[in-house]
Amino acid sequence: MEEIIKDFAAQEYKEGFVTDVAQEYIPKGLNEDIIRMISAKKGEPEWLLEFRLGAFRRWQKMKMPHWGHLKLPRIDFQDIIYWAAPKRDEDRPETIDPALMDTFDKLGIPLHEREVLAGVKPKGEVAVDAVFDSVSVTTTFRKTLAEKGIIFCSFSEAVREHPDLVRKYLATVVPVGDNYFAALNSAVFSDGSFCYVPKGVRCPMELSSYFRINAAGTGQFERTLIVADEGAQLSYMEGCTAPMRDENQLHAAVVEIIVEKDADVKYSTVQNWYPGDAQGRGGILNLVTKRGICKGSGSHLSWTQVETGSAVTWKYPSTILKGDYSSSEFYSVAMTNNWQQADTGTKMIHLGRGTRSRVVSKGISAGHSENSYRGLVQMGPAAEGARNYSQCDSLLIGSTCGAHTFPVIRSQNPHAIVEHEATTSKISEDQLFYCTQRGIAPEDAVALIVGGYAREVLSRLPMEFAVEAQKLLSVSLEGSVG
Amino acid sequence: MDNKVYVIGRDSVPQYLRLEAGEELSMTLVVPPATDTRLVLEVDLTGPGASLDLAGLYLCPDAENVDIRVLVRHDVPHCVSRQLFKGIVGGTARASFDGLIYVAQDAQKTEAYQENHTLLLSDTARVESRPQLEIYADDVKCSHGATTGYLNPDELFYLRSRGIPEAEARQLQMIAFLAPVLRRLPEPLAEEIYGRLS
Repeated sequence: MEEIIKDFAAQEYKEGFVTDVAQEYIPKGLNEDIIRMISAKKGEPEWLLEFRLGAFRRWQKMKMPHWGHLKLPRIDFQDIIYWAAPKRDEDRPETIDPALMDTFDKLGIPLHEREVLAGVKPKGEVAVDAVFDSVSVTTTFRKTLAEKGIIFCSFSEAVREHPDLVRKYLATVVPVGDNYFAALNSAVFSDGSFCYVPKGVRCPMELSSYFRINAAGTGQFERTLIVADEGAQLSYMEGCTAPMRDENQLHAAVVEIIVEKDADVKYSTVQNWYPGDAQGRGGILNLVTKRGICKGSGSHLSWTQVETGSAVTWKYPSTILKGDYSSSEFYSVAMTNNWQQADTGTKMIHLGRGTRSRVVSKGISAGHSENSYRGLVQMGPAAEGARNYSQCDSLLIGSTCGAHTFPVIRSQNPHAIVEHEATTSKISEDQLFYCTQRGIAPEDAVALIVGGYAREVLSRLPMEFAVEAQKLLSVSLEGSVG
Repeated sequence: MDNKVYVIGRDSVPQYLRLEAGEELSMTLVVPPATDTRLVLEVDLTGPGASLDLAGLYLCPDAENVDIRVLVRHDVPHCVSRQLFKGIVGGTARASFDGLIYVAQDAQKTEAYQENHTLLLSDTARVESRPQLEIYADDVKCSHGATTGYLNPDELFYLRSRGIPEAEARQLQMIAFLAPVLRRLPEPLAEEIYGRLS
């Protein structure tokens, strides 16, 4: 077992390279001038600048939250560059810098429309919006999607080309003053994805965003807005990586999802930000707010997340179940190692009648890491016949890590049922013995047991992601001898 | 094992308990109707082999305000703790349960279980449950479970179809729900609780 823990720590982060491209920055620091500068760089309309400034003024009055089971390093918000972008080549303004092409190729993210994601050859295609530091590099398959009336582009483009839609939905799910980091994001957000699927349209391919932090001393503040109109259906995936650095870099994103009547949205994340080294130096501080609303009756929103990276994760993808008989799910695998800390979970807020939700959370902690599940299930007075089932399991590898569960259940309805259960365990000697006596090497046995433990969640991921996630989990265990 | 029963409002309840090596404690807390309380109990398991068996029930049919906080701390290896709390909440009552199991880094081979179940009987009542685990040792068996629900209409129908009047049937349902805790009480107290469940 000692060996396994050691090898866990020795695991390398293969996405940790830096791309050498000419980049342009704005000065360090945060004030109204900086915000005006960001807004001007992006050529934004007046209303959006006002929105940013309003958010900034709110943020200045707010305090950093400390309720998480986390030891956050002090963040100096004046020491961050809030906008960095690769320079456009003057001679070829329309094409993408080959260095960026290479970067995304290396990460397995094809920016050529003829290729597909992640090494496997699935039949379906994937449309990618690739975000590099503060700007979107390209969005693929836009034409194919546009034929169906689907809008999939970077957030900045959406502001230019579909201002009415953006204005109608922006900050309706995560209000500007929702929390400290949401307010910060609303003030300085750079790029992200915007997606709109019109009435009754099934999206013919997976949509995906890939976020890459490259420049040093910067933070990434992306903003994603997904709208599924009546009866629409879409599956969206998100991936992220960053170079290895000794400093902590801040990533404070906001994701908003609006699901109208009978629409169906599936949101999957494989989060693989740089987790810091074995001594706990560096790594991304991943402090994000993700929330969706099942607005119309019969709507459905499903969250699936695999969290393996980041020095600190502070993330609670939540659903407001407003429409009658709407439903939501949350499936999560969170793995922490070395000195990583994760405080993650979900909130299911049942407002409509007959709403249903299901939460399955699997935590795996190793090394000196801390892994917490924090959740809320709330049954409002009108949530007649609503139902929730939550299951939170923790797996501990080694005796120096911690696993915690902090659920809150609130009910105001005598016709609603809430059930929650949680267990904590380790990979038992019996399980290992059972495998090894059948000729399975200890390292394979551990991978097998961890894989089986996380299977319920991994099986929910879209094919392309499931392969990647499985690899991520098993790579962590590679070469370990028990 | 001796089972100590405390009725809130009649008996004085200890706020802090410490169990030494091999010590076993069984304890039942009863919050009868018309009692407002903020109950805080902390138990430290400080010697190997100590064992805690804790149960409680709270009945809040009117406008009670009940807040129960339990902290069970496993500081050393080989201890066992079990908790079972059951509540029935109606009227405009507010009830909350906040239970934390803490397992220190050296407390290997710990077994700790916690359950909290509530029935909600009215639109205006509110319940909150926070079962929490904070675990720093790996060789442990820990679990918790929490539910909130209501009296099952199918069960009610079953009883009524066999000629049991509605009020009585409901009372039976509630007795059945509370049974695991009720049977730990001395006969006269259990009788008293039955009487107040109508």
